[in-house]
Amino acid sequence: MGRQVCIASAGFSEHASKRSDVSMPELVSEAIEDCLKKVPSMSINDIDAFVNGNMPAFEGVNIPELWMTDWMGARNKPLMRITTGGTTGGSVAIGGYYTVAAELPGIDTILAIGFEQQSQGDTSTGLASVAYGEISVLNSLGITYDQLTQLLSAGAAIGVASYQATNYMRRSKITEEDLARVVVQNRHNAAKTWWAHLKMPDLTIADVLETPYISYPLRYGMVCPASDGACAMLFTTEQKAKDLCDIPVYVNGVGSVANETGVLGYNGSGAGQLDTSEQLGAMKSAELAFGQAGISFPRKEIDYAEVYSPFPNQELMWIERLGLFEENTASEMYETGVTALNGELPINCSGGVNSTNAIGASAMERPAVAALQIMGKASNQVPKTVHTAIGHGWGGVINLITMMVMSDKPTRKIN
Amino acid sequence: MTEKIVVANKGLIKADFAFWVGRYMDKLFDAFENKKIVGNKCPKCGDVFVPPRKICGKCNVTIPFDQNWVNLPNTGILKNYTITYYKINDRTSRKVKKPQIIGMVQIDGSNTSIIYRLLDMEPEEVKVGMKLKIIWEEKPKGDPSDIKGFVKF
Amino acid sequence: MQKVGIVGYYQVKLYSDANYGRYEMIFEAVRGALDKAGLKKKDITTVISCTNDYYDGRTISNAFAVESGGAYLADESKVEMDGAHALLYGMMRILSGNHKLAVIWAGSMASCFPYHSTRLFETDPTWERPTAYVNDISALGFQMRAYMEKYGVNAEEIAEIAVKNRKNASKNPLALKEAQNPNLTVEDVLNSEIYADPVRELMVAQPCDGIAALLLAPEKQALKITDKPVWITGVGYNQEAYYLGDRNLAESKSMELASKMAYKTAEIKDPLKEIDVAEIFESAAHEELILKEALGLTDKGKGPSLNSEINGEFPINPSGGAIGGNPPCGTGLIRIIEATKQIRGEANGYQVKDVNKAIASGQIGMCAQNNIIYILEGGN
Repeated sequence: MGRQVCIASAGFSEHASKRSDVSMPELVSEAIEDCLKKVPSMSINDIDAFVNGNMPAFEGVNIPELWMTDWMGARNKPLMRITTGGTTGGSVAIGGYYTVAAELPGIDTILAIGFEQQSQGDTSTGLASVAYGEISVLNSLGITYDQLTQLLSAGAAIGVASYQATNYMRRSKITEEDLARVVVQNRHNAAKTWWAHLKMPDLTIADVLETPYISYPLRYGMVCPASDGACAMLFTTEQKAKDLCDIPVYVNGVGSVANETGVLGYNGSGAGQLDTSEQLGAMKSAELAFGQAGISFPRKEIDYAEVYSPFPNQELMWIERLGLFEENTASEMYETGVTALNGELPINCSGGVNSTNAIGASAMERPAVAALQIMGKASNQVPKTVHTAIGHGWGGVINLITMMVMSDKPTRKIN
Repeated sequence: MTEKIVVANKGLIKADFAFWVGRYMDKLFDAFENKKIVGNKCPKCGDVFVPPRKICGKCNVTIPFDQNWVNLPNTGILKNYTITYYKINDRTSRKVKKPQIIGMVQIDGSNTSIIYRLLDMEPEEVKVGMKLKIIWEEKPKGDPSDIKGFVKF
Repeated sequence: MQKVGIVGYYQVKLYSDANYGRYEMIFEAVRGALDKAGLKKKDITTVISCTNDYYDGRTISNAFAVESGGAYLADESKVEMDGAHALLYGMMRILSGNHKLAVIWAGSMASCFPYHSTRLFETDPTWERPTAYVNDISALGFQMRAYMEKYGVNAEEIAEIAVKNRKNASKNPLALKEAQNPNLTVEDVLNSEIYADPVRELMVAQPCDGIAALLLAPEKQALKITDKPVWITGVGYNQEAYYLGDRNLAESKSMELASKMAYKTAEIKDPLKEIDVAEIFESAAHEELILKEALGLTDKGKGPSLNSEINGEFPINPSGGAIGGNPPCGTGLIRIIEATKQIRGEANGYQVKDVNKAIASGQIGMCAQNNIIYILEGGN
């Protein structure tokens, strides 16, 4: 059952804090144009089906894939929408993979689209509304709404990231300088990526450490921006991919194992997690995806990785939890250049989410860039040949994960 | 499970949104400020769109921004209509005393319909195919509400 | 296409205001489906949920439902359309060979949000939304008038569909109580409140609270789990143009194209002869006629001439359909479950005789902009 699935192209729109020159459907059409530009032997009419997703709270538009039908080229075509919050882009990419793998008659070539135009709404409100329905139970304990909103600065994305950072720092003993180093590497990489948002080629560790704290240990200079942008990926069969590009990228493993637990819960069940940097779901997703791809030693077998780190501590945490490096050695890898552009295992050479974060697109941009690195077509292309790469996404409240393992050779067993 | 409902706190969570309309719609709203309508034309099939669009959905081609603009009259034909007894906004829906006639009007020269109120007529007078003309707001602001509605022409 | 088996299902009783909460309802549905199939939590490899952030009032509406939906440490994802589309994604995951048991759950609690206002958020914010003339109610009004004007179908014929579905719902213990009207007449329907002329209140599927769950497995596993598997032998899904002014509302292009895709896969050449029953998601009575015609069961405009009562020539919605209760996001999945019940002979009180093949459909968007349809078949 099932068949090999290949990525034949990926495209981006320009990302910025305000793409005021385009409406949301027009923003999406830009990414699609960029994706199809790289495969001139086909056109939008050759797309058999679409998968679309974003995080709808940010723009105040529900199920916008209906509105943007024509702008995607999806009129009178099959279309499915997937949204899973921060991991939406990755989930849509995985949805694109499954649409091809399912081998439904006539459904061979898929366009997967992730996007966000955050400047149209209020990012904090969009993020906070993850929990309004749950934390309202605190009202019944006498905590008024105004007090709850103050809690949001210790909750929501920045809060979760701070807890992850302090937990991670406790076990790894890294310093704030290590965090700043990750930021600097990402922003330098972004400067060489045409579609990225925060391009800062001259940023220094000192610059980052001079900015004020938002929530210890995270400083303003360390956090990701809120971007407007879109990403599109082309999934198709092995046969078609070979016609479309020189190096088709095989999707050999996918996983999205969740270990989200109710933090407050309807009945105040408080099942929550004590260590938000444990990330059991990420470890399981990696196990699942690597297993499908036949990868036993990720550190040796993975040539490139894009991990989802809006905050620098997460980058260090992920590359350990996903099995790329030994526990508590990640910061050393940045100090010694192992994860740099010309290092042994380059990480986030697109600048990562830390430099560009259009939430609905960012988890797709990770496998998209990883695929382009394998194809040799990435904007900030690494000098070494990339055979096998991973694209990872993170979101939810604490732990929704997406993982995609790709290679220039098929390794997934089809029976 | 208890039957008693205790309201501990009641409040409104405000979330403001401001939408970028894109350059194509922008041109339409500029025309609205002058009490005029513009559409754009697909270079392949010749369909004229109101509101103007970047992409023709039938042909999947991009309509270049600097070309194919069409000035359209303030008149049109009624293609469909309904009479609503409910007014809906983003917070509530409530029954209204005076029902509204909402019509789908195809502006002369275009191939799509726009949806606005039909004014100064009784439900019995409404017939699909009737000729209509736009009534503009006194002082248009450059947004969809500048068209107050359509009346008999 | 390889066969995928439906091996279990569970639907909670629909209420207009259920006296229990979201998580209990999700747990009841998913746990209920697993228990009925004799399966355990650890048998689950993937969970696809279908909820809508705006309906649930929560961003990432699947995040807090991971535990109650059985997805803890399972490979989970969420489709934000109709439950019937979540089934599609679950089916894709099975067909890929990666998974052996998929749980699909879908639904929401319409009592917790202002349904019609929330539907406004689907509309184009740069053009239609500021004036709000296009909303789910006026859209139905346009659709019904377009259909009546084009084909000369009259309001009585449409009201008869509402009467049929509400009568059928009264035989379905899980349907919404307010929709269970065994003695309703055409006159009652035509005298009910006007929503958007010519659509009347009793013609419209009322939003309510409810969650449903369904279990899928590949052929080999399905035969081990149950001795009454129901096979999905074909699926088709399609989305048509968005703006109401761009569409021909008197017909359903997306359902035509979706059904062509499904029929081709399932090798159905004459649906009227080969299919025994259809459970289709109709957001209003006239839509059932439009969709019926789009399925190729009759010529365009001739929908009323095909008797779709339970003992009629081609039964449609013996469970009452969406008019029997419309929990947003759940309704399409419930149609699949009802069709499954018909094939398994478990539709107590509203069972159609000798059902071997069924059609089940779901939809999303104003006037059914996106339709999805399944061909289901019984037998081992």
